[in-house]
Amino acid sequence: MQGDASPGGVPPLSEPCLAKRGNFVDSTIFLQLIISGLLIGLVFSLIAVGLTLIWGVMDILNFAHGDFLMLAMFAAFILYAQLGIDPIISLPFVVVLLFLIGLATYRVVIKPVLGYPGLIALLATFGLSILIRNLVLFVLGPNFRVINESILAGKTLTFAKLYFSLPQSAAAVICVVVTYGIYLFLSKSKFGRALRATSLDKETALLMGINTDRVFALTFGLGAACVGVAGGLLVNFYPVFPEVGLNFAILSFVIVALGGFGNIGGAFLAGILVGIVTTVGGFFVGPEYKYTLVFVLYLIVITIRPKGLFGW
Amino acid sequence: MRKGIFLIVGMALLLGFSPAVNAADEIEVALLYPLTGPLAEAGGRMKAVYEVAAEVINGSYDIPGIPFAKTEGIPDKGGAKIKLKFYDTQGSPEVGKAETERILQEGTAKLIIGAYQSSVSKPTSFVAERNKFPYLCGVSSSAALTERGMKYFFRVAPTDFHDSRMFFNFLDDMRAEGKEVKRIAMVYERTEFGVHAMKEVKKRIEESGGAYELVADVPYEYKATDVNAEVLKVKAAKPDVIIHASLFSEMTLFAKAYKNLGVTSNANLSFCGGYQNPKFASGLGDTVEGYMGSCTFAEDFIQKKAQLKTVNDMYKAKTGMNLDGISMEGFTTLFVAADAFNRAKDLSPDEVRNALAGTELEIATLPGKGVKFDESGQNIWIDSTMSQIQKGDYKVVWPQEWATTTMIWGMRP
Repeated sequence: MQGDASPGGVPPLSEPCLAKRGNFVDSTIFLQLIISGLLIGLVFSLIAVGLTLIWGVMDILNFAHGDFLMLAMFAAFILYAQLGIDPIISLPFVVVLLFLIGLATYRVVIKPVLGYPGLIALLATFGLSILIRNLVLFVLGPNFRVINESILAGKTLTFAKLYFSLPQSAAAVICVVVTYGIYLFLSKSKFGRALRATSLDKETALLMGINTDRVFALTFGLGAACVGVAGGLLVNFYPVFPEVGLNFAILSFVIVALGGFGNIGGAFLAGILVGIVTTVGGFFVGPEYKYTLVFVLYLIVITIRPKGLFGW
Repeated sequence: MRKGIFLIVGMALLLGFSPAVNAADEIEVALLYPLTGPLAEAGGRMKAVYEVAAEVINGSYDIPGIPFAKTEGIPDKGGAKIKLKFYDTQGSPEVGKAETERILQEGTAKLIIGAYQSSVSKPTSFVAERNKFPYLCGVSSSAALTERGMKYFFRVAPTDFHDSRMFFNFLDDMRAEGKEVKRIAMVYERTEFGVHAMKEVKKRIEESGGAYELVADVPYEYKATDVNAEVLKVKAAKPDVIIHASLFSEMTLFAKAYKNLGVTSNANLSFCGGYQNPKFASGLGDTVEGYMGSCTFAEDFIQKKAQLKTVNDMYKAKTGMNLDGISMEGFTTLFVAADAFNRAKDLSPDEVRNALAGTELEIATLPGKGVKFDESGQNIWIDSTMSQIQKGDYKVVWPQEWATTTMIWGMRP
């Protein structure tokens, strides 16, 4: 599907507007950079929201977060390849599956080490990460899998000479909806209040009759479900292989720290910021430095504001 | 009686210390490849092809043009069988170095073959060189590997020098036909492989005396999460030709991003790497239709060399895929090892090294006559062709003597 969504819409912008190393960058290219940065940034956001949720409530940095993403991508791919279910249709199943994996992880790996120094839980998730990755490598093999034909995959919308990759656009829209949904859920629902109370003071929450064990379990499930949404959508435009989660995990940690540990809105905005920095910064400074730019930004922020841009 | 005892002891000592092998012996070859980690898929394919090569050498197969196929084992070493022992580099130079040390400490291997990435082949071959141990490089393409003055390092595959020369010979032909090919964009990963590929392209452009112009120099970090900045940089430069030195994961992202962001060009050429992974051609459908790249083997080579069908069938039975250029280079590499073992006076590291240096192996697996190393250890009998993805398959489209089909010109998203 490729065509002009609005032939009579905004007139094409083609006059040079920005100087760059003695050349000129078309304003269309500049707008495209912003759009592309925004779209990929929203996917980063969704991955990071799950991570920050777990950190905010439990003070645990889940090292297996990237591997949960990989599991979600593999689940979507297997449903597509074996049963012919389109990734957008299988998304709810993938999300439920990841939610259950999150719950199981809490029960089996996290709960036994709660109450011990934080490093123990960190090492437990690190071990879990290695276990998941190598299990997938052993069972499913190292092969790259690609979905090239689905409702979303490979399709592009054009508007005023600007290109919108349909899978990335859909992922971005769903990311906004899901993040807002989580925000509403946490701020308006009874469980959300219990979760926030637990995150502020576990002992007092316990005294007030809140089942903190249940809160922790559901938080882990919810965090994994977020990454399930991201993985189920990412599979439309990213190859699937056992190491895929690692590529995103490091950026997610940076986004969580940039946005402020445990701050969902902060992770959301920091994800967008990182997407735009990698794309726009990569274009102007050099693609080879795009991740360096993110880490420089991260170092500046944590030096000036150790709690992150939106932390408190 | 005493004379008899001396004779027996003498014989025992001779057999114990001599590196020569008996009929029942095996000759162990250590292979360094990424069997886990991000390149495990490529490493797995290499493992499969070496196993096929060992089967052909150790068994008896009627494959004309392939020495050691008919005979069982290594003829001049009493029919000794090749034994493969794989070591996992995990795609990491540090792990590769440690594994090379382990191979040398174990002391059972007669030769090291490795390692998929140039960035791993470089340090691992340094370790072997320091220990004066022969190292045969199957597929790493960085030209710099054979520019280090090493004595124990030999490479079968074409380098990015050969590939870049082939690309520009091809572009010269296109230019002569009146096609627009002047403006070149180079996209490459910042690794040993990508950076040297870029240097070779730059050299060819400088040598062209203005026939070509580098309009975009786009390096990127290996393991990229997205490539929008890179692709938009290419788009802004409006190139006629895009040249890639990328591995599979990023190559997939680039192909999708070119389509999603409406990048057009007349040709998209690739050094070895992601382009040559059969999943790239079969898995991405019309997104990669018309992509071209260097190729030392494609299934349609069988149209020109029918005897290779047996080898392709054996490989396909193991992997479900057809042989590609890289795997055929690996296949050929084990025959170079077999030939060196066969000619070596004994299997000491120096004798194997000397035998490798004197290689003149005519073998009908790759374009070119076969394998002969120059003083730097580079195979000078190797050649390369240009393949193109057409309807999910690799088709050889240039030069004319190897072409099996007509080329598609022009990349439109």
